[in-house]
Amino acid sequence: MSASSGEPLLSARELTKTFTSRGPGGVLGRRVAFTAVDRVSFDIRAGETLAVVGESGSGKSTTARMAAKLMEPTGGSLEFAGEDVTRAEGPALARFRKDVQVVFQDPYSSLNPRHTVERILMAPLDYQGIAPKGGRRALTKELMERVGLDPDHSQRYPAQFSGGQAQRIGIARALAVGPRLVICDEAVSALDMSVRAQVLDLLRRLQRESGFAYLFIAHDLAVVRRIAHRVAVMSGGRIVEAGPCERVFADPRDPYTRTLLAAIPRINPAWDRARRARADRASDPSQEAPHG
Amino acid sequence: MSARAGLLVVEDLTVTLPTTRGPVDVVKGVSFTVDRDDTLGIVGESGSGKSMTSLAIMGLLPRGATATGSVRLDGEELLGRPDRELRRIRGDGISMVFQDPLSSLNPYYTVGLQIEEAYRAHRGGSRKAARAVAVEALTQVGIADAERRAGHYPHQFSGGQRQRVMIATALVCSPSLLIADEPTTALDVTVQAQILRLLAGLQERTGTGMLFITHDLAVVSSLARRILVMREGDPVEYGEAERIFSDPHHPYTRALLESVPRIDDDAEVWL
Repeated sequence: MSASSGEPLLSARELTKTFTSRGPGGVLGRRVAFTAVDRVSFDIRAGETLAVVGESGSGKSTTARMAAKLMEPTGGSLEFAGEDVTRAEGPALARFRKDVQVVFQDPYSSLNPRHTVERILMAPLDYQGIAPKGGRRALTKELMERVGLDPDHSQRYPAQFSGGQAQRIGIARALAVGPRLVICDEAVSALDMSVRAQVLDLLRRLQRESGFAYLFIAHDLAVVRRIAHRVAVMSGGRIVEAGPCERVFADPRDPYTRTLLAAIPRINPAWDRARRARADRASDPSQEAPHG
Repeated sequence: MSARAGLLVVEDLTVTLPTTRGPVDVVKGVSFTVDRDDTLGIVGESGSGKSMTSLAIMGLLPRGATATGSVRLDGEELLGRPDRELRRIRGDGISMVFQDPLSSLNPYYTVGLQIEEAYRAHRGGSRKAARAVAVEALTQVGIADAERRAGHYPHQFSGGQRQRVMIATALVCSPSLLIADEPTTALDVTVQAQILRLLAGLQERTGTGMLFITHDLAVVSSLARRILVMREGDPVEYGEAERIFSDPHHPYTRALLESVPRIDDDAEVWL
């Protein structure tokens, strides 16, 4: 599904987060303020993927937490579907939670080890007080099928799954309430390369099927290239460059973006081209000898 | 013994770990050679046995684990050596840099003292002489104002600088072989690029043989002359880097290369 235009689904305006701590001198020291996120603004439209990339300390995860309303901003505002949710509580916050779900980096630490997959997947509905249509077991199995897990394993525990499978459980849980925005905070960073590629493919397929939007937080530009429609590059708490994915990669305008792109390790392009040419020849049926 | 016998020759290395369900082979008959001034990349995903291979070479396997086969450094067999002799070889002949510099450095000692101790453990000499060596080592790995910085504690360094300190510690006795186990995995991509350049530059100057262990094919592509791909303890494919990357023979190597996201112009576009 292509990104639709029109009203933004999520709109952040000058989001700011300042932390204060005691400076040198311990409890007697002066309070020192540190601005982790400095007046960050962005829009996410329905059905599109905005990736926020940056290195450690860039403020990308703090931005994600504020967008997910897991952390109060010090300043700025957040609108969801035209409604100001900056200070939303009670029923308004519950509505927001039904529409916005989060997938975390470490699948094992974000899944309760003592709960079965069914209980984990149904938890968001339980919190929302929603009765699953068709019953808990049926919805669990449907969700497991959608993320490529064996539905017969609904009574197993997280430890019985591999890292990639556990992350699929985390994704299925995010889908349970039918969200309009899924925030992925380094959701594939902890996974092995081959598993990472599969999970990225899954995330893309789910978006095509259901049309929700992603806010995708990552430190890895190569991963972002594979999933995002638009990219915002963060450094030192600010967005230094934002634009369509293709444009930012092909024609980076900010010096920091250029440094970041240049630092990505690359396989020798000549070797890679040779390998792909070989693979194409091998998969092209016209090159194969006729049978019989 | 001929000069081309190889600095490190590993033959049919098998590592067995005891588990509650009986012994399990986590490295199954791995063979490779690292020459002087040469880098071998060992590539694998989690559980491939790549780190167990390096621990077996260092004689640092967990209790109860056994290693069979042969590991020769400069023609000398290392497997089955008593711990006392291995301690002499570690640091002096073989040194190692790990993924997480913070857990490898002692937070209570200045980095200068830690490098001095690594040096004096093998070479002896006075504190003062060792300090001069430590400061020189820090300068070599690109720590500015090394004399003053030697008096600082690990927490006063950034992640990339800590990894530079670890590399300085590893190289202070001029080992003939450096084992780097995911040395840049915990680092930001711009810092990773700096550390990779540093390692390549140091190797050019010192001729140290390097065993570079990583899950990241792109990282190893610029560094290694030869590649060993491992999976679940098995050696899957071994050969010159150019051949492995341009003409992978094994389906697993092909799948790994397919999974590396491309970032350049001809990457497939998805909208």
